[in-house]
Amino acid sequence: MNDMRLTERAVDSKDVKIAARKVQVFYGETHAIKDVDVDIDDKTVTAFIGPSGCGKSTFLRCINRMNDTIDVARVEGDIHLDGEDIYNPKVDPVQLRAKVGMVFQKPNPFPKSIYDNVAYGPKIHGLAKNKAELDEIVERALRRGAIWDEVKDRLQEPGTGLSGGQQQRLCIARAVATEPEVLLMDEPCSALDPIATAQVEELIDELKQNYSVVIVTHSMQQAARVSQKTAFFHLGYLVEYGETGQIFTNPKDSRTESYITGRIG
Amino acid sequence: MSDITATDAVPSAPRKGSLLEQDARTKRRNAAETRFKMYGIIAVTLGILALVMLVVSIVSNGASAFQQTYITLEVDLPEDRLDPEGNRNRDQMARVSTFGYGPLIGEAMEAQIAALGIEIEELGNPGDIVSKEAPAQLRNFVLANPDVVGSTVTFEFLANGRIDGYMKDRVTRATALLDKNVSPAQLDLTDALGEAGVLEKRFNWAFITAPDASGQRPEAAGLGVAIVGSFYMMLVVLILALPIGVAASIYLEEFAPKNRFTDLIEVNIANLAAVPSIVFGILGLAIFINFAGLPQSAPIVGGLVLTLMTLPTIIIATRASLKSVPPSIREAALGVGASKMQTVFHHVLPLAAPGILTGTIIGLAQALGETAPLLLIGMVAFVREFPAGPPEGFFDPASALPVQVYNWTQRSDPAFVERASGAIIVLLIFLVIMNAIAILLRRRFERRW
Ligand SMILES: Nc1ncnc2c1ncn2[C@@H]1O[C@H](COP(=O)(O)OP(=O)(O)OP(=O)(O)O)[C@@H](O)[C@H]1O
Ligand SMILES: [Mg+2]
Repeated sequence: MNDMRLTERAVDSKDVKIAARKVQVFYGETHAIKDVDVDIDDKTVTAFIGPSGCGKSTFLRCINRMNDTIDVARVEGDIHLDGEDIYNPKVDPVQLRAKVGMVFQKPNPFPKSIYDNVAYGPKIHGLAKNKAELDEIVERALRRGAIWDEVKDRLQEPGTGLSGGQQQRLCIARAVATEPEVLLMDEPCSALDPIATAQVEELIDELKQNYSVVIVTHSMQQAARVSQKTAFFHLGYLVEYGETGQIFTNPKDSRTESYITGRIG
Repeated sequence: MSDITATDAVPSAPRKGSLLEQDARTKRRNAAETRFKMYGIIAVTLGILALVMLVVSIVSNGASAFQQTYITLEVDLPEDRLDPEGNRNRDQMARVSTFGYGPLIGEAMEAQIAALGIEIEELGNPGDIVSKEAPAQLRNFVLANPDVVGSTVTFEFLANGRIDGYMKDRVTRATALLDKNVSPAQLDLTDALGEAGVLEKRFNWAFITAPDASGQRPEAAGLGVAIVGSFYMMLVVLILALPIGVAASIYLEEFAPKNRFTDLIEVNIANLAAVPSIVFGILGLAIFINFAGLPQSAPIVGGLVLTLMTLPTIIIATRASLKSVPPSIREAALGVGASKMQTVFHHVLPLAAPGILTGTIIGLAQALGETAPLLLIGMVAFVREFPAGPPEGFFDPASALPVQVYNWTQRSDPAFVERASGAIIVLLIFLVIMNAIAILLRRRFERRW
C-alpha cells in the first residue's frame, strides 16, 4: 500500500447523489442487509469493501432496483436519488436503470455482436439519431472501456467470443454507452490483468468528473487508489463509512481495522 | 496422504503401489464402467433393430402401393348408345349411366384379344379384368368432351384389384381357384396381355392424388383427400397453437407472479399434456360440433381439437427453453435499462427460438399422427370430394392420413393392406420431412452464435 498518498487526498464537500436510510433487504427468511444508512456523493468514487457474503452486491443492487427481479428479495427503507424516492410506486425501474447503470460481478455480454452489445442501450433509449452517431457512441464507449484497440477490427464478431477480461471491459463499455448518472460496478476488475485494471481505474477516475461511481472491490489497494469514500460492510451491517484516507489509516471500528489488516475476511 | 506416517516404506519404493499395475479398486471401477457401456450398446442395438424391423415390414408391405397395373385399350364410342338424340347435348347424354358404358369396355377388350390372336377357354367376360372404376372414367371423359362420340379413343384403365395383385405376386393361380372374383383363365389373359405390352405395371401417382374409393375398388383408392385434410388441419394447428402457446408461455414464465394460482395453472398444463387424446375428441364433439354447430368431418374441427392437444406440448417446450436462457442475460438487458418486454423480445426469445421451434414441430408431428380424436368428430367418413381451397375448404368434409390408414385396415379386400402400408409410408415421409425442417431451423438459429 505504498502508493497511497491518502492524507494528501483533497476532499471537498459534494452534493449528495444517493441517500439511503434504514435499508433492509430480505431474501425470504435471510436478512441480508440490516439498517444501512449511507450518503453517496455526486462526482465521487465510493468503494464498498467487506468480506465475501456480507451484502455488498445486495446493497448495490438496491440502488438500481435490480433486486426487484429476484422473487424472494424484499427491500425496506428509503433510498433517494437526487432527493426522489426510487422505491416510490410511481417510479418505473426501467427509467431508473437508464440513470443508474451497472456492471455485474460476472461478465454477461449479450450473445450478439460486439457492436450490438454496446449499441443496444443507446438504441432503446434513442440516444442516436442515425447510424453515424451510433457508430460514434459505440466507438467512444469502447474506448472508455479500454477495449477499443482490441476489438476495432472485429466489431461484428460475437461478444461472447471474447476472453473473460475482454468481456468484462465490453460490459463496462456497454454500461457507459447509455451515459448513466450513477455507475454501479460490482468487482469490475476481478477478471482483469494489471494493465486492463489500470485502464479501468483510469476510466473510473475520468467518470467521476461527471458521475457518481460506486465500486465493489476485494482489493484494498484498488479501493485506496480510486475512491474518495469507502464503506465497510460486515455481516449485512454498514460498519464504517468515511473518507477513504481515514478508513485506511485511522479506522474507528475495530472490525474495520481487522479487515483491512487482513485478520477477518 | 494420511497414510504417510502409517506406512514405513522405503523412500525409493512407490508409497501407493506401482502406477503400472491397477489395484483392485481401479479394476472394479473399470469393470463397472465397461458393464455400463455394454448395457448402453445393447439398448441402442435393440432400438435400432426394432426401428429396422418396423421400416422393413412397412416398406415391404407398402412399397407396392406406389405401383399400379394399367391396361391400354382402344374404345369405340358409338353414337347410337352414348348419344341417342345425336345432338351432343351434355344434359341429355348424362342420362346414359355408367351401366351403359360398361359393355363398351368389354367389347374393346374382346376386340383387343381378337386382334392379338389370344385364345383362352372359359374366360367369361374379358372386361372383368378391368377395374370397376373404368366405366365411370370413360363416362366422365365423354361428358367432358362430347365431340369424341362416334370415334375411337385410346384409354388407360386400371386393372382390377385381383389382377393387380397377381402382378404383385399377392394373387396366385392357387388362390384364384378359391376366389370367385378372379379365375385362372383371367390370369392367363393377364400374362398374354402383359407379353403383348397392353398391360403393364408402373408408378402410380394416383395413389397420392386420387380420393378414396369404395371397398370393391382398392386399385382406385388414393390419399388425395386425406393429404389435403391433414394439411389443412396442420395449418389450423400451426396458426392457432404456435402464437397462443408461445404467448401463454412467455406470460407464465416471464411476467406472471409466482403464486399458488400460477402454480395451479402450471400443474394443470402438465396434466393436460397427459390427457388421453380421445378425451380431446369427446371435448371437440361436445363443444365444436354439438355446441358451436361447426360441421362434422371438417378440417377446422379436427384442427381445433388437435390444437387443444398440441398446446400443452408447445407450452411445456417453450417454457423449458425460456427457462434455459441464463438469467444473467436478462439482468444484462434490464441493467442497461431495457423494459421487461424489450428484454424478452430482444434477448430471451431469440435464444429460446430453437427450442420453441423444435417443440412446435414435435407437437405438430404428434398432431399429424393422431387418430383417436378425429374418429369422434366424424373424420372417418368416406369422402370422395376434394375440399375447396382455403379458407372455405376448412369447413368441407375431409379425411386425414392416420384415419385413412385406420379406415383401410378395416376393409375386407386384402389389396387394402398394401394401401394402408403405403399410406403409413407417406405419413412417415411427412414426419421425417417435418423433423428435418426442425433440425434445419435449429441449426440456422443456433449458428448465429
Ligand atoms: N438471490 C439470492 N437468494 C437468496 N440469498 C441470496 C441471494 N443473493 C445473495 N444472497 C445472500 O445474501 C447475502 C449477501 O450476498 P451478496 O451477494 O450481497 O454478498 P457479497 O458481499 O456481494 O459477496 P461477494 O464478495 O462474495 O460477492 C449472502 O448471505 C447470500 O447468501
Ligand atoms: Mg458480490
